[in-house]
Amino acid sequence: MPDHPLPDCFPPYDEAGQPQVPIEGYAATARRNPARALFRRPHTRTELTGPLDPAAKLVPGEGNLAVPGPGRVALGQLIHISGRVLDEDGRPVRGAVLEIWQANAAGRYANPLDAARDAPLDPNFVGHGRVATDAEGRYGFFTVKPGAYPVPGGPGRWWRPPHVHVSVIGPSSLSRLVTQMYFPGDPLNPLDRILNALPDPAARERLIARQTDPAEVEGEWLAYRFTLVLRGRRATPPLP
Amino acid sequence: MSATGSRSGAPLPPTGWQTLGPFFPQALFRDGVDNDLRRRRAGAPPTARGVPIRLRGRVLEEGGGPCVNALVEAWQADAGGRFRHPLDPDWREADPDFLGWGRALTDAAGRYEFLSVLPGGYRDAAGPRAPHVNLAVLASGVMRRLVTTAFFPGFAAANAADPVLSALPDPALRARLVAKDEGEAEGARIFRLDLVLRGDPETETPFFLD
Ligand SMILES: [Fe+3]
Repeated sequence: MPDHPLPDCFPPYDEAGQPQVPIEGYAATARRNPARALFRRPHTRTELTGPLDPAAKLVPGEGNLAVPGPGRVALGQLIHISGRVLDEDGRPVRGAVLEIWQANAAGRYANPLDAARDAPLDPNFVGHGRVATDAEGRYGFFTVKPGAYPVPGGPGRWWRPPHVHVSVIGPSSLSRLVTQMYFPGDPLNPLDRILNALPDPAARERLIARQTDPAEVEGEWLAYRFTLVLRGRRATPPLP
Repeated sequence: MSATGSRSGAPLPPTGWQTLGPFFPQALFRDGVDNDLRRRRAGAPPTARGVPIRLRGRVLEEGGGPCVNALVEAWQADAGGRFRHPLDPDWREADPDFLGWGRALTDAAGRYEFLSVLPGGYRDAAGPRAPHVNLAVLASGVMRRLVTTAFFPGFAAANAADPVLSALPDPALRARLVAKDEGEAEGARIFRLDLVLRGDPETETPFFLD
């Protein structure tokens, strides 16, 4: 049972802060989004609720993608990604399940579906991880900075900037979030069609992690901070 | 607090969605476990309450091709129509062994399948809810999850009164969200609902504003 309040009010998304489709040069966005407008529905109990303890089902793992065993270290720039998961009222979301997956330093996914290119796999890079947030909504992953990769397909080929895919399963169905984290200052960021599908520049900026001053970081990992805000306001009291 | 806002001030804008992309790791999905809604936690036995069902179908794109390596997520009430959640006034009566949440990863043919129990209906402030399973699709090219609801045949009166199904203006669209009864197999009732993310007006699945 949760010992923290759960959001029960889910304002509609601000469209300027959410991706618009279709995206030129990303054909799947034209084939996989409804032609018909979405229908408004009331938010009943099924929409407002969700599993209270998703980590019981999706068991968190190590959170270290870059060092799979003793003496084994992935190639590339070692980085640490950390931050907090908050609701729209700024309250920490505890017990949320965070999953990340990403390309290795060469821009290749450890996924049999990513087989179109010659970029090498790295046997020491896991490529995915899962953790749960703590009581303050904090999370953290050790990984490597992913490489950029070209988007396969026809004319007008373009490149994805380095990015980390992030999935968050929070306290309500309506607070579900899947997004991508980008790196500050990358010259591919302003050219990325997926990041730029968000019309509001401030919303795009919020998908770019902030680098912690390297002088303040101990150890061999460059550190990035990435705050995630899940949809949802107001608090329902927890179960007694 | 972070630079994104303050606890006492204006609400923080929710983080923008981005696509799942084509490479969601198969290693993050355990077939037969993650898509089994009947187990409270990994390794727990399935609940003994309710009529076992398998809800299955294909996720299809325009032209009828399969959406491969897509996630379908499911959330539903237990067999008695309860949620173990503080927003359900009757949460104490909820089945303690039932989770009601799961996700499936589509195969090369775009197929998904959930193991669950037939959900119960319940009374909601918005109206009487018929038995239903909420579904969300995440896939490459889908920039924000697409949400819809599966209803069940054999509940014509309850379906007709359901406030979410009634949000669809056209009877043909409402019929498209009622899963097909495919009999019984492996001790479960089989229901099918294909999810056509985009298609001609006669086939496209109706989706709701999230
Ligand atoms: Fe990617």
